[in-house]
Amino acid sequence: MDTLLAAVHAVSWAVYVGGAITMEWVLRYAQRTMPPSQVGVVCKNAGMRYRWFGLGSLAVIGATGAAMFLRIDEAELAARAGAPELSLGDPYGRTMLVLTIAWLALAATVLLMAFWLHPAQRKRSLPEMTQSDVARERQRVGQAIGRMDKALKFELVVSVAAIGVGASLNAGGLF
Amino acid sequence: MPDDFATWQHIIFGYLHDIAIAVYFGGAVAMEFVLGPAQASIPPAQAQVMGQKTADRFLWLVWGSLALIFVTGVLRLARMEMLSWSWPFVEDPLVLSESYGRTLLAMVLLWCVLVVNGALITFVFRPRLAGKLTPGTGGAQLAAAQTAKIQAATWVQRLTRIDIGVTLLIALMGASLGWGGLI
Repeated sequence: MDTLLAAVHAVSWAVYVGGAITMEWVLRYAQRTMPPSQVGVVCKNAGMRYRWFGLGSLAVIGATGAAMFLRIDEAELAARAGAPELSLGDPYGRTMLVLTIAWLALAATVLLMAFWLHPAQRKRSLPEMTQSDVARERQRVGQAIGRMDKALKFELVVSVAAIGVGASLNAGGLF
Repeated sequence: MPDDFATWQHIIFGYLHDIAIAVYFGGAVAMEFVLGPAQASIPPAQAQVMGQKTADRFLWLVWGSLALIFVTGVLRLARMEMLSWSWPFVEDPLVLSESYGRTLLAMVLLWCVLVVNGALITFVFRPRLAGKLTPGTGGAQLAAAQTAKIQAATWVQRLTRIDIGVTLLIALMGASLGWGGLI
């Protein structure tokens, strides 16, 4: 059971972080050679799909992480090198807290992207719109794209750092 | 923060190993289930260009990850004093009489499967997909070239899915090492 939980937890992190790195490194590069209209179509399609993968992965990370936390055997933990403890007075406990905060930040960012930043990028175009309305709408969409870009970079940095923080648990924690 | 070099080494090797596996597996999932379907939403000619660009770039990630997984894996074993310079080059518990050793051997063999699949995609099927037709190509040659490209694309997809399955198995085995191994 412990092995299965750890494997599912690791695979979910891999889907989430590996996907984020691939979207940034591969899709952004491919976009440069595409006409703007098709960039919009591909981004909308890939973005929507990846958001669901991201939300699903984060949900599984949260569930398996909580289950593993509840199954921690204090005696077994103390027998490890450095005798880590599950308290805020020990680097192991503080590192777990930082990981939980990172997970919450990632979940909030992905939810924000799925339900606010992504829908905000849709351009509204109505026949009764004046030229200034169209310009305002274009500016609003531009701002939404800018915010999405910042959110994506924040998500990438936090998720890549979280892997490092998680890796340090084997050595007794980082903070 | 840890204050000795050995602990930092342990953390950094573990971090690089984990991130390389994440990039390999997460990247394969994203390419197959996110970018692939997104590619189908644009006209075929443009989709082909996008497919070539994304695959070329992704192959760098694949080879980089596979190399990093191997190098950091060996460094971690050496740091844990499980490797030696004399035959059979491994120390207890990395021997085949222990579950830990058998599980790790299986993981190395599965890593070899990923390398072979990566080589097939890079050196056999990708060149077939990227092959251009010369002016004056006849109808029969055109049909044969199209069939070869479709077959190559099908093989790339099959191998990518096999890689995803193999990586899942590696993740399960890797997780089991914390409890002494799986096999």
